[in-house]
Amino acid sequence: MSLDGRAVLDAQNIRVEFGGLVAVDDVSFTIPEGSIVSLIGPNGAGKTTFFNVLTGLYKPTSGAVIFDNAEITGDPVHDIASGGLARTFQNIRLFGLMTAQENVMVAMHSKMNAGVFATIFRTKKQKAEEAEARRFAQELLDYVGIGGVTNEYARNLSYGDQRRLEVARALALRPKVLLLDEPTAGMNPNESAAFVDFVRKLKADKGISILLIEHDMSVVMQVSERITVLDQGQKIAEGSPAEIKSNPRVIEAYLGKSGSEASK
Amino acid sequence: MTSVASGVARKKKVTPSAILMRASMIMIIGVAVYWLGLNLTSDPRQFAQVTVNGLNNGLLYALIALGYTLVYGIIELINFAHGDLFMLGAVFSFAVLTEALGATGPSATNYALLLVVLLLSMLFCAFINVSIERLAYRRLRNAPRLAPLITAVGMSFVLQWIGLKWIGSNPVNVNTVLPSSDFEVAGVVIAVKTLIIFAVTIPLLIVLAFIVNKTRRGRAMRATAQDKDASRLMGIDVNQTITFTFAIAGAAAGAAGLMWAQTTGTVAYNLGFQLGLVAFTAAVLGGVGNLYGAVLGGIIIGLIQSYNDGLAIGPGQRWSQTMVFTLLILLMVYRPGGLLGETAQEKV
Amino acid sequence: MSNTAPAHTAVSGNRKWAIGFTSVVAFFFILNKFILPEAGSGVQKFFNAWFSLTSMAEIMIWIIMALGLNIIVGYAGLLDLGYVAFWALGGYVAGWLMSPFFSGLNINFFGNPRPGLEFGIHFHVFLVLILGGVFTAIWGVIIGGPTLRLKSDYLALVTLGFGEIIPQFMLNGADIAGYNVTNGAQGIGGLDDVNLFGYVIGTFALPEKFLMVSLMAGAMIFFSIRLRDGRLGRAWLAIREDELAASMMGVPLWRTKFASYAIGAVGGGIGGVGFAILVGGVYADRFNFVISIIILAMVVMGGMGNVWGVVVGAVTLAWINSVGLIQVGELVNNSFGTNINFPSYQFLLFGLLLVLMMLFRREGFIPEARIRMVMNEDKVDEEVSDETKIASK
Repeated sequence: MSLDGRAVLDAQNIRVEFGGLVAVDDVSFTIPEGSIVSLIGPNGAGKTTFFNVLTGLYKPTSGAVIFDNAEITGDPVHDIASGGLARTFQNIRLFGLMTAQENVMVAMHSKMNAGVFATIFRTKKQKAEEAEARRFAQELLDYVGIGGVTNEYARNLSYGDQRRLEVARALALRPKVLLLDEPTAGMNPNESAAFVDFVRKLKADKGISILLIEHDMSVVMQVSERITVLDQGQKIAEGSPAEIKSNPRVIEAYLGKSGSEASK
Repeated sequence: MTSVASGVARKKKVTPSAILMRASMIMIIGVAVYWLGLNLTSDPRQFAQVTVNGLNNGLLYALIALGYTLVYGIIELINFAHGDLFMLGAVFSFAVLTEALGATGPSATNYALLLVVLLLSMLFCAFINVSIERLAYRRLRNAPRLAPLITAVGMSFVLQWIGLKWIGSNPVNVNTVLPSSDFEVAGVVIAVKTLIIFAVTIPLLIVLAFIVNKTRRGRAMRATAQDKDASRLMGIDVNQTITFTFAIAGAAAGAAGLMWAQTTGTVAYNLGFQLGLVAFTAAVLGGVGNLYGAVLGGIIIGLIQSYNDGLAIGPGQRWSQTMVFTLLILLMVYRPGGLLGETAQEKV
Repeated sequence: MSNTAPAHTAVSGNRKWAIGFTSVVAFFFILNKFILPEAGSGVQKFFNAWFSLTSMAEIMIWIIMALGLNIIVGYAGLLDLGYVAFWALGGYVAGWLMSPFFSGLNINFFGNPRPGLEFGIHFHVFLVLILGGVFTAIWGVIIGGPTLRLKSDYLALVTLGFGEIIPQFMLNGADIAGYNVTNGAQGIGGLDDVNLFGYVIGTFALPEKFLMVSLMAGAMIFFSIRLRDGRLGRAWLAIREDELAASMMGVPLWRTKFASYAIGAVGGGIGGVGFAILVGGVYADRFNFVISIIILAMVVMGGMGNVWGVVVGAVTLAWINSVGLIQVGELVNNSFGTNINFPSYQFLLFGLLLVLMMLFRREGFIPEARIRMVMNEDKVDEEVSDETKIASK
């Protein structure tokens, strides 16, 4: 396993307060290069807030996020994204009225250069750039297995294809780290199993480090090399799947919550 | 992406642009203070006079601004039609009180009629406002933001057209019920009308504040404004609450319309557009969504406009609108949240 | 792997539309230049009443305006309610830079001053077009810069205020601290005739002027389509669709919105220059809020973002506004002996149009599948979330 590798993303003592409420309390967390790690915890544990700190959507009250050896705390969201920290969304957020290909090409925005005049007059350079972008988009669509829907509007895709398109779009940022926010939400067990294989393949093919936020324990246990557990804004455990399974604090946190969750 | 970031900034960078912003703001305020001070010292009596006039208009602006702020607070819609609703209130009161009832000139019966028509005008505008919400805005509640905004602009035109057809394209003189007499306090002429405006507007504002702050309905309004889904779960009838808000906003516009017609003695079909914008600026100045902010903003805008138009050393009336909108643009630059509001940040 | 197919379906349609547009322009040019002068008075009368070349030329200006606003509202989803300000600013640039107005100056840069009126500033029309665009872009930057950082509603408000300030400034501009900047309500007339490579388009050469503004409109259509299909166009649409997701895909929100606002402003400025040349002057009282709303209605009616839809919307509404209401009114009144003042229904017409379009046909009269979807977003969202709920059980 690659857990001893250099940390590609390192969040140090992150603390987030909203008003007087502490949503994330002094959490440190690293993603080693070329690894698959997971962040789990009961609802309201602060996972999504923490996630939003990593992607720059929230600025932490204190603490720092180091990505690829540079501090990115407080940097604009789009800079962090184009720097190679890509994400998908829990509730799919595609650009519905753009084609699948255009969706992917949007994510190449920061890697492209064509300005207003080049676009209007279709300079040689702009044409080449567009062609290359289109080619790369098609490659990514093929890679995630939806090569046949290139010119369909994202809205018209099936739910599963939309999830795949989200991944393709994130990959277009040529990320070093991919953050997947509950990627198997709404999938059946077969699809989830296929997804586990896909995540492994992604890591093997592209050498991308992956962070999962996931509810489905079987997915988490199968795919993760390391699991971090948050509860009430605090990190209560961290370790291999086997260690987490037998950790009494984790069991307590989940059992305490599972009663109320079952009643929903 | 600053608009969606919340939480407290960890490292506060002092950038050159921030310094420039601060410096330019201080400069602008400095110029304004200098201008007012210059006028105050050169002619204190006139300054006081202009202040009284400004307060007079400011209270009416406050009533209109209240409608904007209530609606914005609850469904985050700039109701562009609100100014025209105010215009219709003025036209309605003119048609009923002056034309139909023939109440002109001060007398005890006419005062009684004035109060009755005030109530009618409030009901009339509340009805129109609620109808607009039912027919148009409600259907667009989940639509992209642009849709209800454009609808509101369209509604504004429809209402203007009604006003146009009702009283024609030229301003109409209103023979008011209010006395035209005035009295002098330390050299400052105060019209009895102004006192009546105070006497009607201030209690109205207090009643509205009471409704929003102290009654069950008001609590439902504030809850709905904060979080519709949570309010629904708590058993609040969100639709009814929004209807109620539009009714209150409409009533305030109706009252303002009648008071305007009676104190200025003129109504015109395009009254709503200009005044509506001024009032909305007032709402933004105070902090949109904030009730007291609307009142404060209304008064400040009334004063600024009055100083601009009336002071001996100043730009003068032909720049009146420009002053107000320049203020609006400056507000957006320096303090988008308004005086009493929070900064205008997107909810994520 | 078929990546040669264009990313959208509109391309083959573009050619047909372009041919249609060119044909209509050619038809009106030839008709007015060669046929009508020879035709019988009945034919002349008909065309002059229903399709006068003046109104046709103005329609071309409306197309430019609508497409400019379309970049802001239709592409990037930002609401501008004061677009008339850019029209006015562009117009005054033409007024300042190609007329004898600044009589104290004597500047001639490839200009074409009228004999005896060589004083003032006389720039070549191409330079004026460029400067008109630059000038409005600067104003776009001043207005958009701070406002675009805020919630989108505030832009609507600030632009509305801007649309009020600029015309008021022009109206009051005869005495700014003692200087006559805009000549106030009288406006600036007597603009220079356009001199294109030695060919002078005279003040009353209407067919040639029509051709000139048609070319400008054609260029605007071309630019609009090209921009939509490039890197920037995709970023604009992405922002219109989902701002947050766009930023998380590396699209800098502020810069991109800013580009849309500034480029949209340039469109308005160039259209303003064109209009000033067309009417031979610039007059402050023409610029009011109603104009902004009519342009908005054109964009809305055409289906926001859909270039050809907006062109059709602009043509239809501009024609109704300048000719249709009056002519149809006369026709109805004469036929039925009624006495209805049709133009007085202008407010109702545009107001209802906006409301009804938003309520029932948000995709515009000429729907592009893309637009139909975005405006009915809410329904689709519900469906998806229902699926999610079911699937997760």
